[in-house]
Amino acid sequence: MTTLMTIQTQYPLMDDARLAHQARADPEAFAELYHRHITSVYRYHLAHTGNDKDAEDLTSQTFMAALEGIRSYRGTGSYAAWLMGIASRKRARFFRRSGDRPEVPLDAALHVPTPSLPTDKAAYQRLQMDQILGALRNISRDRAEALILCFFSGLSMLEAGLVLGKSEGAVKMLISRGLQDLRTRTSLALEVDYE
Amino acid sequence: MNKEILNQIPADEQPIASKLDSAAETMKVPPTFEWKLETQLMNVYKTKTQPVHGWYIKIIRPVGWAILALCGVFLLSWTIRYLIPGLPSAAGESPSQNISFEARVRAGKICTGPVAVAHNFSVSLTNQDKTGFVILDEQENIGELRSLAWSPNGQQLAVIGNTTGSGNIYLTDSTGDQLRPVLPNSELGYLMDAAWSRDGKLFIMWSAQNNTVVYLMNADGTGLVEIQLDMQIFATPQFAPDGESIVFYGADSSSSGLFEAKLDGSQIRKISPLVEDGSGFAWSQDGSRLAYIEMDRDLGEARLVVEEIATGIKSVIAKLPGRKGSGSWLPESANLSWSLDGKMLTFEFGGSTTDRAVYLAYADGGVPVKLASSAHAPALSADGNCLAYISDKQVFLLDLPGTPLTSPTAMPLLLADLPIGRAIADFRLDKLGWGSEKTPASKQP
Repeated sequence: MTTLMTIQTQYPLMDDARLAHQARADPEAFAELYHRHITSVYRYHLAHTGNDKDAEDLTSQTFMAALEGIRSYRGTGSYAAWLMGIASRKRARFFRRSGDRPEVPLDAALHVPTPSLPTDKAAYQRLQMDQILGALRNISRDRAEALILCFFSGLSMLEAGLVLGKSEGAVKMLISRGLQDLRTRTSLALEVDYE
Repeated sequence: MNKEILNQIPADEQPIASKLDSAAETMKVPPTFEWKLETQLMNVYKTKTQPVHGWYIKIIRPVGWAILALCGVFLLSWTIRYLIPGLPSAAGESPSQNISFEARVRAGKICTGPVAVAHNFSVSLTNQDKTGFVILDEQENIGELRSLAWSPNGQQLAVIGNTTGSGNIYLTDSTGDQLRPVLPNSELGYLMDAAWSRDGKLFIMWSAQNNTVVYLMNADGTGLVEIQLDMQIFATPQFAPDGESIVFYGADSSSSGLFEAKLDGSQIRKISPLVEDGSGFAWSQDGSRLAYIEMDRDLGEARLVVEEIATGIKSVIAKLPGRKGSGSWLPESANLSWSLDGKMLTFEFGGSTTDRAVYLAYADGGVPVKLASSAHAPALSADGNCLAYISDKQVFLLDLPGTPLTSPTAMPLLLADLPIGRAIADFRLDKLGWGSEKTPASKQP
């Protein structure tokens, strides 16, 4: 199996587009891309589903689809945007199929792995996450999606625009209004310390 | 957090932004999952990159079984003909029937009209003698050709295209000549699909970016109207026969299912909470019946239901065993459609591409017939003689006899390989549709 140790030293400076091209014939290049982006994809799905099982399932589906379609990535745009486009379609399909069940069982299913933290801090983090994901669900979908892509998946506004099919300016507006909604319409503002 | 984003956020919003950022930081990928998925990916990669060996191993077993099966058939046939003299010779009959079906199709005697296929964000039409597909928009001026819809008379093909996130409908005739946009300057978002009204004068469309809205538009691109619904839409609505309401798969605040709403978004009625797919319902050609497939997860079965609109009477005309429970691994149903004469229905049922099958059911009841395994996207020809479907990246045609089937028909005819397309898309987006010749052929006896 390809291990993280070997690939990190092999492709330290290569950009995503070149790696993706190389990944057509080189499994280690694909593994490197996987390690670079798994956190973004996982966070994206966890932010949407709120539970680790569905997030893991969707993350697996996303990378399996990326592996199947790696040849269709032409290297002309951002690889991260291309990958998150796949993630977005997997997420849409997931919610289309499970439209009748609550999106997020916000309880112990929420995965916040904090083995090194004291119990009360871990519980506090879980509570915080619960509030944030709940608040995101109370604002419009496109604003929430823009916030998740930029804050949880680390995309730039330009890249998020590619995923959403919008211009960079439109994404900026979505983020600004999304944050404003979170501040004014949800209980999240009460938890923020305005100094 | 991305510093570029932080710098562009107004000071008022920065505390909230920081809170989102710190929440994201607490989301760690479980190491065991990360390792396990990497292992799976590498195993899949390894399988993909051993084509020669894999192909050899894969082909040998089916070929062996095929040879054995052929020998069995010949032996059985020979035995029957030996025991019952006077039957026509086995040597000439089966191939001649097969050739006859193929010849009639290729010559345009039956199953007339072009077959359109949407596959991998590309749309194609069969050529004149149905030996291959002609790709529309070969220059790729439109970014993604997502879906297609034939006009009710089968003469016009609407192609749903998106370019940099902006959707439009493009029209062409049954020859597939130049696609022309319906809206000169579309400001619609990313369009998923569209449907025609039964008189061919209106389009209805929806966008995944805002799935509480549907768009209505005249077929000439005028009169675009946005309708806000108090619920979500998961797939393209269809016009009801009276043209005054739409039927769609969506979800209200309590559950998902099949709904009906007036064109202004009012009077929403839930038809069935057990419909789970956007293409799992269909109106009969005369508009008198609505068929839909219910997935009963409690009983573990799928039911094909036909509702008589005039009386409201619902009948279960077919059942298929499913599985109990919930989850993405459960079988699903899709692409339900009626034959023009209202006697037959076809649909697909199953999970992935390999365990999905195409079925034929009869409106007057009986056990549905599994026509093809590892197959999806069924579509009946206008004359009812052919059923087209996709299997293993190829399009096949089945010869449907005039009398009800109780078992699969003869060997299917390979129509053509699927065009490659522009990008790999979910096979569930594949769609086949028959257009019509100017003079529709009548049903062959």
